[in-house]
Amino acid sequence: MLIEFGKVFVFLLIAIVFVIVALIAAKFIRPARPTHEKMLTYECGENPIGTPWVKFNIRFYVVALIFLIFDVEVVLLIPWALVYKGFGLGGFLVGAIFLFMLGLGMAYEWRKGDLEWVKPKVILPTLKNVQVDIKEDAAA
Amino acid sequence: MNTISLEYLVDSLKLIKPEIAVTITLVLLVLVDLIMNKNKKFLPYIFIGGLTVTLYFIIAQYCTSSFAFNISKNLGMVIVDPFGNFFKILIAGSSIIIILFSMLSNEIKDGADRQGEYYVLIAGMILGMFFMVSSADLILIYVSIEMLSLSSYVLAGFDKQAIRNSEASLKYVIYGGISSGIMLFGISILYGLTGSTNLYEINSLVQASQVHGFTYILSGFLIFVAIGFKISAAPFHFWTPDVYEGAPIPITAYLSIASKAAGFALLIRFVKITFIQSVDPNGFWHLLNIIDWKTFIIIISILTMTLGNFAAIWQNNMKRLLAYSSIAHAGYLLLGLAVLSNEGIAAILIYFVIYGFMNLGAFLVVMLISNKLGSEEIDDYDGLGSKAPFLSVSLAIFLVSLTGLPPTAGFIGKLYIFLALVDAKMIVVAVIALLNTVVSLYYYARVLKHMFLSDSTKETPAFTTSISSIVFVALMLAPILIFGIYFTPLVDFAKSSIALMGF
Repeated sequence: MLIEFGKVFVFLLIAIVFVIVALIAAKFIRPARPTHEKMLTYECGENPIGTPWVKFNIRFYVVALIFLIFDVEVVLLIPWALVYKGFGLGGFLVGAIFLFMLGLGMAYEWRKGDLEWVKPKVILPTLKNVQVDIKEDAAA
Repeated sequence: MNTISLEYLVDSLKLIKPEIAVTITLVLLVLVDLIMNKNKKFLPYIFIGGLTVTLYFIIAQYCTSSFAFNISKNLGMVIVDPFGNFFKILIAGSSIIIILFSMLSNEIKDGADRQGEYYVLIAGMILGMFFMVSSADLILIYVSIEMLSLSSYVLAGFDKQAIRNSEASLKYVIYGGISSGIMLFGISILYGLTGSTNLYEINSLVQASQVHGFTYILSGFLIFVAIGFKISAAPFHFWTPDVYEGAPIPITAYLSIASKAAGFALLIRFVKITFIQSVDPNGFWHLLNIIDWKTFIIIISILTMTLGNFAAIWQNNMKRLLAYSSIAHAGYLLLGLAVLSNEGIAAILIYFVIYGFMNLGAFLVVMLISNKLGSEEIDDYDGLGSKAPFLSVSLAIFLVSLTGLPPTAGFIGKLYIFLALVDAKMIVVAVIALLNTVVSLYYYARVLKHMFLSDSTKETPAFTTSISSIVFVALMLAPILIFGIYFTPLVDFAKSSIALMGF
């Protein structure tokens, strides 16, 4: 049984070696003539402003997550849409329940104000019920 | 594999009514939270109502023994059997207690605008645990563990403004993420070896080929890691004290009962179904000799209870002390599994019911005291015996029960574990467990000493306890005292619930 895994190991080795060989070969073959423009970060043709290492607003990720959920929804619903006629009412309900759950999540998101782009008030966490001297901690 | 028709699925839905009831409760909670944005008063009552319906469905299907969501003629992904139903009742019951608990908690009241999330996440945890105790498929096991974990990570850090909560949450996420990753690795190895994710199918495949091999042992242990993490068994217990100390007390209590019960149910099911060869008339199991589960579990359990008990001696925070004590109790409970017999399982079930009441009770009193004192340090409990006699006496009874002294119910729980051990001629292990109990007496008694014998040096505000909390504490006390004397119904109930599907 363990020998069977040998194939997987060989596959893994080939995958690693392929990447290394391809990169090294490319390094020798390709011409390297860097200019200032070439070294810039690519931002759709615009001149970049400031450093690319900035903190992104965490709300970008919230929006990205919602987008992802609805993306997956489409992937799941297309096969369902193709076959649900064959299953009658039951088949329709399966998809309807799924859509209802997703819609509920969306409504929740909306109502709780996570889609609004107004800067929320920042509340910093405080030490509650803890016998830690902050000054001492900072000194250490 | 058969083609799955829709009627097939609808038939299966009839078997998972409790899970459907919890899901509907969850949806209702979200809807009510959204519609009544400001008024959160009704949420806990809706939740309790939903759980009562769930309990009704569980009891209605209690004696059913069947597969749901079949993948072939007589194999399914979900099992409905008395064993699983017992744990579902335990989980749903403790959830109701926890909801009442949360209504009294100051920590939860502070996050009033997020109470909707709080209850919805608890509903998510319940759903995950229900599938955990009834799954017969490695994929479903993994998904349900994740469902439980993700909700509990968030709940552990519910109070966003307390650093302690965030720390607990972060530690829980990191440890939990690693342990579930390791489990997934174990599952993939087991799948690679057998080509199936169904526990019953794996069992018949392994029985037919009679294989031995290091990879089986490895996969079994890797899967044990994640379950051991959930039940806080010794080498995987590091998260327990930190998370228990940091999380809001109702969540701590919930993690120590419900999530531990679900973990044990899963462990028992996994070990028994995947590796069993036959059960002899006396109720002893003969496991396939791929993995020496008996020795392994004995070592883990002795390590767990010794570590838990000895570490608890040095604790000055009540929540940490109870965390270490819950680690020690996981050790005693594992001994019931190490016997590898039906009697041992019955002992675990008895112990769990009693442990649920006494541990929830202890956490409840600690929470009521902390609501007033604003502290869980044992030193602050000085002189509490005269200021809050009712709370102190009830905490004393819960702690005595946790030690396992008669006439409390804790004694009955330990008694059945030890009886099962002696029956299986594991005297040495029983003696080690007994010695551990003696150690545990020391740290529980220390709390009593602080409450009743030490005089307070600090001025503390007057202690008033509301009628509702007194009634609640009394309701938790009653089973401890009743089961300590009249335990036949509990034992009969547990013995009728040990039937696992198929064996």
